[in-house]
Amino acid sequence: MRGHAGLTVHRADSGLKRQEIRVRSSISAALCALVFWAVPAGAQLSITGEWAGRYHEDFDDRVPGDVNGDFTGVPINDAARFYAETWDVRRVNVLEHQCQPYNLPHIYRGPLQFRIWEEKRPQTQEIIAYKIYIGTYMQSRTIWMDGRPHPSEYAPHTSMGFSTGEWFGDTLKVTTTHIKKEFYRRSGLPSSDQTQVEEYYVRHGNLMSQTMIITDPVYLSEPYVNSQEFELMERGNQNWLYNCEYVMEVPQPRHQVPHYLPGENPFLEEWANTFGTPFDAIFSGAPSTYPEYAPQIEDMVNEADNE
Amino acid sequence: MKAKLLMAALILGALAGGQAWAHHSFAATYFEDRTTQIEGRLVQFLFRNPHSFVHIEAPDDDGNLQRWAVEWGGAGQLGSQGVTSATLRPGDVVTIVGNPGRNPADHRIRMLSLRRTSDGFGWGQAPGETFN
Repeated sequence: MRGHAGLTVHRADSGLKRQEIRVRSSISAALCALVFWAVPAGAQLSITGEWAGRYHEDFDDRVPGDVNGDFTGVPINDAARFYAETWDVRRVNVLEHQCQPYNLPHIYRGPLQFRIWEEKRPQTQEIIAYKIYIGTYMQSRTIWMDGRPHPSEYAPHTSMGFSTGEWFGDTLKVTTTHIKKEFYRRSGLPSSDQTQVEEYYVRHGNLMSQTMIITDPVYLSEPYVNSQEFELMERGNQNWLYNCEYVMEVPQPRHQVPHYLPGENPFLEEWANTFGTPFDAIFSGAPSTYPEYAPQIEDMVNEADNE
Repeated sequence: MKAKLLMAALILGALAGGQAWAHHSFAATYFEDRTTQIEGRLVQFLFRNPHSFVHIEAPDDDGNLQRWAVEWGGAGQLGSQGVTSATLRPGDVVTIVGNPGRNPADHRIRMLSLRRTSDGFGWGQAPGETFN
């Protein structure tokens, strides 16, 4: 009697035959289990396609862009405050900065469209990685899904960083390190090259939510949390090209770096003054991001009125 | 209702042409609640992304000739409005109205409208002739 290769047995009594059948059944079951166990990624929600931002949330911050002195909602620390105080928006006109891409925690905050596709292992059809092309600044991003570790801390940093992902139910969690320094806000809130980002993607039909939890030991005192919504585009290939060209936009002395010395920034309190909000409430960072801070604002306004 | 329409218009405006590329904030760079006007000779037209620039030699308020940097839309966005790299030439005499820069020493303006004296060519007066 012949069974599977390597499992051929020759037994006369029926008891041994039954044992052989049990062994065969067990092996078949194990093989079936192995086959189905190897394709869990195929059961995940698909996030592929071309997506466009929806800007109903934080519109002023994300589309027209920041105004001078808007530091609200970001848990900045003293180092970030010092940076913001000396920031001059004209620095983006300096040759080196004109085409500087937004980094990962910043790029999803602005107007953008992006395309996601999957790279699969040919033999198993497991998802090795999600690939993303972001139209703004023509950035390419890979989210590795194969369990590889993050590289050494001395590995090169890029604007999009190094990302790994993992599904938890229908939520994709993405962890990104090795991100180049840039800004959280163009009003002069900096991000450092020690920034790390956790993203959580949840798809609901043709909408996808992204929640970002950003940590930065250099410029943030607490995690900075924000969220964005994206909509699947029915017509594809609408991604932008960003053929940015360096020129002398505004004639100015070579090597000049626009800045203000501490205490000399005339626009620092502009946003506070425009909206009649105490400057401390705008510049205090983490405490002002919590609801229990509201009574303090009221007290500050009353104090100012009484003076 | 008005607020909703304004919001829709702003979003459409921002995304028209598929290029809302502001690498800096206009509100932070210019006094958006003020306008200024210059008339002079075009010395350089930088038709490019993320934003085009027109450099004009024109007198300031004191009558001194200055080189003004006038910021305009990105090449893609202006292209969708019929503006090309050949639309303006050095030597063209133009009148420009725009928002003045926050630092007067920069002699910088954000373009709101342009008119060329020789043939009346204009930009900024017709619907949709804006940039972001």
